Amino acid sequence: MIPKMAFAPDKDRPPASPAPDQGQRPGIAASVQGLSKHFKKARVLEDISFDVAEGESLVLLGASGSGKTTILRIIAGLEQPDKGRVILHGKDVTDLPARERGVGVIFQAYALFPRMTVEKNIGYGLRIRRRPRKERRETVNRLLKLVQLEEHRKKYPWQLSGGQQQRVAIARTLAYKPQVLLFDEPFGALDAQTRVHLRREIRALLRQVKVPSVFITHDQEEALELGDRIAVLNDGHLEQVGTPDEVYNHPATEYVATFLGAANLLLGVVTSGCVEIGTARVPAAKETTRFREGQSVKLVFRPEGVCLSQDANLPEGCRRLANGVIEEVNFVGPYERLNVRLDLTHRRQAENEPPLYDVTINTPERMRGVPIMVTRPKPDANATKYKAGDRVAVGLTSFSVLPNYTLARQR
Amino acid sequence: MKITAIRHVRGFDVARPVSIGVMLAIMLPLVLLPLLSIFIYGTGKGLGVFWSSLVAPEAIFALKLSMVTSFWATVFNVIFGLFAAYVLSRYDFWGRNAVIVTISLPTAIPTAVAGFALLLLWGPYGTLGRLLNPQGVQLMFTPYAIILANVFVTFPLAFGVIKPVFDTMSRSLEEASATIGATRWQTFWHVTLPSLRGAIVSGALLTFARAVGEFGSTILVSGNLALRTQTAPLYIFAKFNEGQIEAANAIAIVLALLSFVIFSVLFFARDWLEFEVQEA
Repeated sequence: MIPKMAFAPDKDRPPASPAPDQGQRPGIAASVQGLSKHFKKARVLEDISFDVAEGESLVLLGASGSGKTTILRIIAGLEQPDKGRVILHGKDVTDLPARERGVGVIFQAYALFPRMTVEKNIGYGLRIRRRPRKERRETVNRLLKLVQLEEHRKKYPWQLSGGQQQRVAIARTLAYKPQVLLFDEPFGALDAQTRVHLRREIRALLRQVKVPSVFITHDQEEALELGDRIAVLNDGHLEQVGTPDEVYNHPATEYVATFLGAANLLLGVVTSGCVEIGTARVPAAKETTRFREGQSVKLVFRPEGVCLSQDANLPEGCRRLANGVIEEVNFVGPYERLNVRLDLTHRRQAENEPPLYDVTINTPERMRGVPIMVTRPKPDANATKYKAGDRVAVGLTSFSVLPNYTLARQR
Repeated sequence: MKITAIRHVRGFDVARPVSIGVMLAIMLPLVLLPLLSIFIYGTGKGLGVFWSSLVAPEAIFALKLSMVTSFWATVFNVIFGLFAAYVLSRYDFWGRNAVIVTISLPTAIPTAVAGFALLLLWGPYGTLGRLLNPQGVQLMFTPYAIILANVFVTFPLAFGVIKPVFDTMSRSLEEASATIGATRWQTFWHVTLPSLRGAIVSGALLTFARAVGEFGSTILVSGNLALRTQTAPLYIFAKFNEGQIEAANAIAIVLALLSFVIFSVLFFARDWLEFEVQEA
């Protein structure tokens, strides 16, 4: 449903590419093309391009200082880019002032007008557009109902809870039928529980009103839950744009892999359809096709993508990585977390050697063993208990292979 | 506001009554007794004398002139202070800090110097007055001169109250208003100005209180002409020199009460004003 779109646009893209007229393509509500921005000497954004489809919600995910707020402010017209265009429903709005763009911004602290009641806040957009009183009243009533704040209509913002304020802020923008909604860290000011509750509420609300929206957040869990697609930003450039499944399970870069949840990274070399890591060889015919033989790569896998076994038999669909030894077992609420030292320096197995050769945490091998993090769901943890010092075979159910750029910046 | 003191000693702490007593003992001869004596002497010869001194045409005129000139000076300074605060907190330009210092300067200038400076500029032989005088325009020694002097000496007061509120005001309110579709003027009228209500009120009261009591510059530029350019403080001074203590005293009581009222409003409104700022 969503057009797969250009991430980190290539410099050598053929000129016939459809990029320049992306704004005219139906189904695209908003797009930014080649945004760049400097503040004084510091580069804040570099060549940022992405689209937001009609009715879609896109999350800009990045650490603080990654430039995500600047992108939002540029779309809203509160900041001017040095280079690049902002296109809303096919119209280039780059040079329009904020008030002529028809964009709805939900500010971090909601920015409700303190001297106005809830209904006056919501009616503000129509009031300054000098719409007839009747229309204003009807719209306000409809929106109050939509955000379920009918009984609070006469209250002032400071009399409302954070979640209620946020709903007023959303209703205030919906009143003038915005082309796109922009949420600036919408849950930053709330406690963890309210956060989870509210983002479900907002998701449901957005599905109802079908306004395309852009969220910015640094919280990966929030991003995975809120976004139809996620754009991962790092230091002013886009690392990857994709569905939550794509960015989580198939990260395009090391940054994406480590920023979205925990990830284990192992340095290896491509060898005849396998990734060779020390003495271990992981068969990865499909994953290594885009690499040349002998290329240095990184094997990236998530803690939950690891399976362990006390005998040498790993379950179906699990590719053998190496042997290891359990170093630590932690119980972390819904799952179990294990630190495992991998033995990646052992000589090849001899003919009759037992499958789990001698790795222990008490030998010097411990110092050479490579640590990885493994998580297991409750049922697994209950079925086979491990304790520190147990020797296990380690396999991977899913992983990605990424190029290992050590010198050039990863792009 | 509830105050909780740290407990420093066991049992009864004498520091509390002693320190409060010392404070009041210092204030008594310096502030409280002088104020009290106005009221004691003013009403000493009976309320009848007080009342007739108060309603004397010259006294009424002086009070009225003070109110009117202070009012216009306040109106001008609040509007200008608001405008200057807006410009100086929204735009960065070369010499911005110099402008801020210049606006604040009149507080530090002795009022007699201010009056003298105005005379040198607008007086019959002054730099500008010399040009205006042949046209029949004479500003000095008229009520306009009093307004000019009041404007000059109270110039930074409203600005000084409004500017910090502008500086601390969250920009996102105005940004929100702009993204919703408001013009600059609509944003100012519906969003910015309501948040400044408290600052404008207290700035106006401060300016007015200061202007009503202005003496040093007024006496120089007004000419101190009874029933023409004599403000209330000048009236007190004139009557005192003539030995009419009761007449001076009656007006002194009115001025003292007025400032008392103004500062009570300021003080008790502070909770309300702070509350406003918090909201914003």
